[in-house]
Amino acid sequence: MEFSWDFSAVLHNWPVLLEGVGVTAGLWAVAFPAAMLIGGLVALGALSKSRALGAVTRAYMELFRNIPVLIQLIWFFYAFPIITGWQLSPFVAALLALTLNASAYCSEIFRGGIASLPRGQWEGARAIGMQPLQVLRRVVLPQVLKRMLPAFTNRGIELAKNTSIASVIAVHELMYQGRALSAAFYRPLEILTAVAVVYFVLIYPGAYLASRIEKRLALRGH
Amino acid sequence: MNYQWDFSGVWAHRDMLLTGFVGTLKIAAVAIVLGVVFGALLAALRLSGKGWLAKPALWIIEFYRNTPPLVHFFWAFYALPVLIGVSLDPYAAAVIALSTQSGAFFAEVFRGGLVSIERGQWEAARAIGMASHQALRRVVLPQAMARMLPPFIERSFELIKTTALASTLAYSDLLYQAMQVNSITFRPLEVYTVIAAIFFLTLLVLSMLARLLEHRLAVSTRPVGG
Repeated sequence: MEFSWDFSAVLHNWPVLLEGVGVTAGLWAVAFPAAMLIGGLVALGALSKSRALGAVTRAYMELFRNIPVLIQLIWFFYAFPIITGWQLSPFVAALLALTLNASAYCSEIFRGGIASLPRGQWEGARAIGMQPLQVLRRVVLPQVLKRMLPAFTNRGIELAKNTSIASVIAVHELMYQGRALSAAFYRPLEILTAVAVVYFVLIYPGAYLASRIEKRLALRGH
Repeated sequence: MNYQWDFSGVWAHRDMLLTGFVGTLKIAAVAIVLGVVFGALLAALRLSGKGWLAKPALWIIEFYRNTPPLVHFFWAFYALPVLIGVSLDPYAAAVIALSTQSGAFFAEVFRGGLVSIERGQWEAARAIGMASHQALRRVVLPQAMARMLPPFIERSFELIKTTALASTLAYSDLLYQAMQVNSITFRPLEVYTVIAAIFFLTLLVLSMLARLLEHRLAVSTRPVGG
């Protein structure tokens, strides 16, 4: 192998990659809390006694989880404006697709977690006069949030990885910046390897944290 | 909302979408098979009990699991050829990216399934005179496989969805073909809605088949009296 590694293109242009990291982090930091919020609301719909609401929320979860996220992204960027008349900027389209996609997974985590609590907890709290939302906030969530923590951490990791597809519609996040650099300097091996390493450094701590939490919860018998 | 839906353009180019659908199925099938091979290899290294084999395997697994799939596609297509001195077509690059990344996930599924079988099963099989490969094949694997199946199927579904990324390398999968149809018909709403529906229905049918399979396997490996 006569190839010699030359990382000077990476070393001289690290601000370009850093800018990409900023956009990647921005996508994640907005999409993740928003996905949790929407996911929580969808889960409440799925758990409600209303059959219509149950069917609609089920369909929502199934749709967003069984279509590739890249197709959702392209749909929101190219197809959605035709129905609504709103041309979204690449960043907003990416945010919308990533958030809704992650929210479907989050709702399943909430739903499963809340359903894992024995019904007696609900009935007991109701019997002492609490309103349903009070039961949820004071009795149910405090008990199940811890159980859901590993699943949410994993979802956060999946979301961080998914942000990279925003590069396909020219959002200037890390993947896009890396490809632009690689095209400009003809050093795909060094630049794309550096991009992969940056992603790993950003994401691995989350995965490590998730496995630690999981082990601790397993030890406590949750 | 007064948009007039018009699927005639999509219908007129259905053969292009069919080509794409076949391309998606083909790459998914090949990547699952190669991913299982790679995953089994990584799992074997992880379980070898030798640090110099297990450690590198662990780092390969961690690296693939904690970097975006899209990076693997671009890396396989643009960077790997520089390293090996052979240029790869989109199909080969996409297969490499898909099977290595899913191999890393499969490895953890296999390892988890095997270590979940209690040691007593090994010991009992050995005690009645089985060689260790017999104990593995006849006692441990049949039980472990029933436990591996649900996460394995889940990972395979992820893989099928990830095949859509191959379109970024201009491999003729369903999404890439849809983009071509869109550039002819200028009907993005219809085209992309149709392929989203195709993916959805395909995964729906596959998940029904998977549930059947899981059910049958669960019945056939149920412990006596359990």
